[in-house]
Amino acid sequence: MSDPTTPAEGSGIVLEACTKRFGDTVAVDHVSFEIVQGEFFSMLGPSGCGKTTTLRMIAGFETPDEGRIWLGGRDVSRMSPQKRPVNMVFQAYGLFPHMSVADNVAFGLRIKKLPRDEIAERVADTIRVVRLDGMEDRRPGQLSGGQQQRVALGRALVNRPAALLLDEPLGALDLQLRKDMQLELKHLQERTGTTFVYVTHDQEEAMTMSDRIAVMRGGVVEQLGSPRELYATPASAFVAGFIGVSNLVTLRVDRRDDGLVAMELGEGDRILAPDPGGSGDELTVTVRPEWIKLGTDADARDSRVRGTVTDVVYLGSVTQLVVELPTGERLTVHRLNDELGASDPVPGQRIALRWAAAHSYVIGSDRAMPSDAAAPSDEIEPAPTGAAGAP
Amino acid sequence: MTGMAAISTSTDLETPRRERLPRGPKRRGALGILFSPVGLLLLLFVLPMLIMVQMSFVEFPPNTESGYTLDHYREVLTNELNLKIAWRTVMIASISMAIMLAIALPLSYFMAFKAGRWELILLLGLVLADELAPVVKVYAWQVILGRNGILNWLIPGEPIEWLLYSRFAVIVTLSTTYITYTTIPIYAAMKAIEPSMFEAAVDLGAGWWQQARKILIPLAAPGIFIAMILVYIPMLTDFVTSDIVGGTSSVMMGQRVRDLILQGGNWGAGSALNFLMLGASGILALVAYRLAKLNRIDA
Repeated sequence: MSDPTTPAEGSGIVLEACTKRFGDTVAVDHVSFEIVQGEFFSMLGPSGCGKTTTLRMIAGFETPDEGRIWLGGRDVSRMSPQKRPVNMVFQAYGLFPHMSVADNVAFGLRIKKLPRDEIAERVADTIRVVRLDGMEDRRPGQLSGGQQQRVALGRALVNRPAALLLDEPLGALDLQLRKDMQLELKHLQERTGTTFVYVTHDQEEAMTMSDRIAVMRGGVVEQLGSPRELYATPASAFVAGFIGVSNLVTLRVDRRDDGLVAMELGEGDRILAPDPGGSGDELTVTVRPEWIKLGTDADARDSRVRGTVTDVVYLGSVTQLVVELPTGERLTVHRLNDELGASDPVPGQRIALRWAAAHSYVIGSDRAMPSDAAAPSDEIEPAPTGAAGAP
Repeated sequence: MTGMAAISTSTDLETPRRERLPRGPKRRGALGILFSPVGLLLLLFVLPMLIMVQMSFVEFPPNTESGYTLDHYREVLTNELNLKIAWRTVMIASISMAIMLAIALPLSYFMAFKAGRWELILLLGLVLADELAPVVKVYAWQVILGRNGILNWLIPGEPIEWLLYSRFAVIVTLSTTYITYTTIPIYAAMKAIEPSMFEAAVDLGAGWWQQARKILIPLAAPGIFIAMILVYIPMLTDFVTSDIVGGTSSVMMGQRVRDLILQGGNWGAGSALNFLMLGASGILALVAYRLAKLNRIDA
């Protein structure tokens, strides 16, 4: 997003300082980002964070009070939804109950008055892609929730939209079906190469499918990045807490040396974190539960703490422990159940914990800042095609 | 469909419970309570109807010795004046129906989807408009449309004569009399439509006309048919309106039946005409019922 005022021809969707107010409430507050052609982009946040309003502005159902929206190099800020080359999958699906599956799917093409043969061909193709073969003549009322969902997807995809906009489309489905549909959506997106813009409040859903996620709160983008970036380097305590389970620890800087900051807890116990620089003497640090190990064999660059186990929850692949430190802070620890017969600690037991200093992430210290477009991804995460964020 | 299924389930569930009810005096009490309305209905509605049926078949002059005949029906069906009046009645009712639909469809749409807090006010307005005594409403139109009426007072120049005592006046008055019964069933049908369907249609490129033709009208069709049947039949038999604001060019079937019986004393022809109209209404109602059922959504 080198110069958002002149997006390149054929590029994806660009939001330029978009603001939307409803009365006195600012639903979306100067939101800017670019969605790259062909990526799976999610807007994630609690209800009322402005994610759906942002999606509806892209679809054309809301007009931004300020700012502009570019679609494939064209300013569409004031264009009617009928004319925009995007299609939406609604939360309640909005299927036409008086029409068959095939007629539902054909609706957009018939409106565009395409030739009969082409409509038949594209509808048949789409029905195959969304795996509704044999259901063409059914009415939506005769289909299961997952099948209705696929009709809604097909009805939008058949128009070959520049981007498919999905507004919490899996919200009405039960858990197992939702998990299946997540993978199916991801595969569908990869097969069709369509840009997906996905709105959800479910972080796991967003993490499963997305190339990049914009975490939103109070009408602004708190952080934008790949799932890996959001998880490993959250820009704010909110992001750290929203993406996965996270321990937030307030670190009082007692000592700085060798590129580390340390808080001494007595008897050799300490919490270490990479020195973010600057002169702050109190930092917020996040540690993911799976990075914390049980045991005392800590080396000089490990944090080590002792505390009392308060809760033990067996979750199958991991056991979740809650450990209360002498400071009163509680740490959630995930212990991998990869050894047969290994016994878990019991509540009340005092245990020692350790984790590498590098695994204490000082919030806001790294490159990923709010509203920044994708920072260069690290080596493992494949960058979306034609990644944005090149300097 | 769901509604019907629900009803049958509930009766299935209630059957065993009902059998546990004590038989005897309590049951007879319930029957006794039912008896009075049923008795009144038989006495005041079915009995006169049966007399009318007999009248329409009995030879003229009616007395205990006269035999039965189809003459009255033949006479009614071959009388040119009757056919002319029937045709005119159908025309007047159809034009009024068309006018009412032209008002009720957009009004229902507005009430169901756009009116917000005005929805209830409009609904109350429609109900209140219907609560006025029909005769009062018809006389009000006399005041509005008359030679020295409000409309002629507003329009400059020579008073327009055809405003009152004309087909025009009958159509205007009928349209306003039955607007409530046209609007409310359509409004109820539209209220059941999921609003996101219109957004989906807009998203797929549909303009307002395509939304109306492909989504709104088909989904509101059961309500539209019910409205038509509710309104068409009383219009075909209405005689008050045409009496007060109509003229010689707007005599309708209802008036014809009344005139045959009350002025001509021709009970035979009047009753025969009456039952022909009843039969026609019944067929209309059946057709509408079929159409409404065809369009019912399988949910």
